[in-house]
Amino acid sequence: MGPYLQSALIAFSALFTNKTRAFLTMLGIIIGILSVSLMGAAISGVDNVFDDSMKSIGDRVLYIQKYPWFMGNGEWWEFRNRPNLEPEYVDKILEKSKYAEFASASLQRSANLRFRDYAIENTVVEGTNWQSAYINAPKLAQGRYFSQVEDRVSAKVAVIGSEVAINLFPNLDPIGQEFFINSTRVKVIGVLEAQGKFLGLFSQDNIITLPYQTAKNILGYTRHLSIAVKITDGVDLETAKEEIRYIMRNIRKQRPMDSDNFAINQQEAFKQQLDGIKLAITAVGLGITALSLIVGGIGIMNIMFVSVKERTREIGIRKALGARRSVILFQFLSEAVFISFIGGLIGVLLTTGLVGLLKKYFVASLSPNLILIALLVSVITGIVSGIVPANQAAKLDPIESIRHE
Amino acid sequence: MALLELQGITKFYQVGSVEVRALRGIDLFVEKNQYLSIMGPSGSGKSTLMNIIGCLDTPSNGTYILDGSIIHGNSIDENNGHHTVSDDQLAYIRNQKIGFVFQTFNLLPRISALANVELPLIYAGFPKKERIEAAKYALERVQLADRMTHKPNELSGGQRQRVAIARALVNNPSIILADEPTGNLDSKTSNEIMELLQQLHQGGNTIILVTHEAEIAENAQRIVHVRDGLIDQDTKTNRIF
Repeated sequence: MGPYLQSALIAFSALFTNKTRAFLTMLGIIIGILSVSLMGAAISGVDNVFDDSMKSIGDRVLYIQKYPWFMGNGEWWEFRNRPNLEPEYVDKILEKSKYAEFASASLQRSANLRFRDYAIENTVVEGTNWQSAYINAPKLAQGRYFSQVEDRVSAKVAVIGSEVAINLFPNLDPIGQEFFINSTRVKVIGVLEAQGKFLGLFSQDNIITLPYQTAKNILGYTRHLSIAVKITDGVDLETAKEEIRYIMRNIRKQRPMDSDNFAINQQEAFKQQLDGIKLAITAVGLGITALSLIVGGIGIMNIMFVSVKERTREIGIRKALGARRSVILFQFLSEAVFISFIGGLIGVLLTTGLVGLLKKYFVASLSPNLILIALLVSVITGIVSGIVPANQAAKLDPIESIRHE
Repeated sequence: MALLELQGITKFYQVGSVEVRALRGIDLFVEKNQYLSIMGPSGSGKSTLMNIIGCLDTPSNGTYILDGSIIHGNSIDENNGHHTVSDDQLAYIRNQKIGFVFQTFNLLPRISALANVELPLIYAGFPKKERIEAAKYALERVQLADRMTHKPNELSGGQRQRVAIARALVNNPSIILADEPTGNLDSKTSNEIMELLQQLHQGGNTIILVTHEAEIAENAQRIVHVRDGLIDQDTKTNRIF
């Protein structure tokens, strides 16, 4: 082991005899590793946010809506002629379905809020049924959801998002406070926990939830109705979906040859959509990354060939004094690996800084695993690009190389 | 048994379509603690002979036994009739049995005299402490104990050659092989180096000196003249040791 350790030390000190050259060679690897780890950080950031966001949709919930979540080109023109959903469907579905555990209608529209001197414009107001508390509702930070009775009598009670609570009732306990939505007075009975942004883009905390009829009275608007159906645990989601589809066609009195005039959405659709995007990011990212690492690797290979040429005589002397092929090979291979590894280390450090900065504007997360992978990739790049020059050095003839000037 | 046995050594090179016969059948026996000069004009084959003796090269044919190890030989148990050794085995033999002194010193420029002397011990796998001890002792033997930390470019030509001699000595080799050791030195320094070699010989070392200068060759006990790839003369000098 001794001669190999010494060779590694020699290789390390060789970096310092040509600092500028070593650094310029490293630059290619720094850029390569920077793009690998930034790409990874962005993808895992998107992943984390996606998982969080999907919780608010719920994986056992079907959404009956006029439009599917993701439409192809021109489909909108076809779907816009579909009839609107009616809130009465909720009871019919619950009555007929074997698999539906809860169902709830939901309508949304923005409205203006006012409390004493505070006013907020364009807050999302949602009207929904009492069952929604059991379907996909977030946890409560304070208070309670409205009850079945409050739902039936259209009580003027509201569950508010954390952002609304902070903005409308600064330094006040919101529970029991009365405020205005447009011109209707409502009372706060619950505050939701902070949800963050959906897919990192849209705030889910600037929202107010009211009983369905209360919201309808205030907003006067029912076109974009959505019905959420929670499927009983243990039931196959596809079977349940088929059943709900059958019930909906019955309600709508559709003939066998007609195509559905409604859409049943589920979390899966988001997943599929996002998987496509992730795949695209990863493929493009890997392409760019691989390219920059190949360029960086070629840079190392090039400089290693120069290094072997310059030190031909040194290699000859070392061989004459008894250095075996593998020892010489190791010396030059470790020089290449040092260049690439240090480059990788600098790249990872830069990424750590950049990810910290990026987090303020976009989602990103740098895991220890990712750092390890980036460093491993840099070492592999060093080995791959150093092996040919190092082997050339190892095979040099001592007689000829010792005469080399 | 002789320390070094060469029998029927030939070396042929193929240069394009021409076969160059550098050595055409050399027989040479060198006893332990002998001081031998190999002389010859350029093109005589003496460099090729030195490379073969130094295990930097292998002969085309013939038997070479160094200190009991068969470096090359016609042996019956090998399929092709030759006993050959690998590159790495040659490196091992050079490391263990041969100490080189070159005309151009061939020290590594960026490291100290001590580190240069340590080199053969690094490749022999000695731990650091023993390496430094042995290298210091070798530098003391060539009277350079006070120049250990100097780099080669901070030393005079004579001092550099003495560092090279220390490096040749440090692994207690079977032979010291000096190739024109005074070729790049002035006559005063040359004399100092020749005296040093003389001392090493008296201390029990076997020395083979390759030179084209008769005056330098006269320092040895025995002079072998090489001409056209053959040994032309083998004479004893008047030196009494």
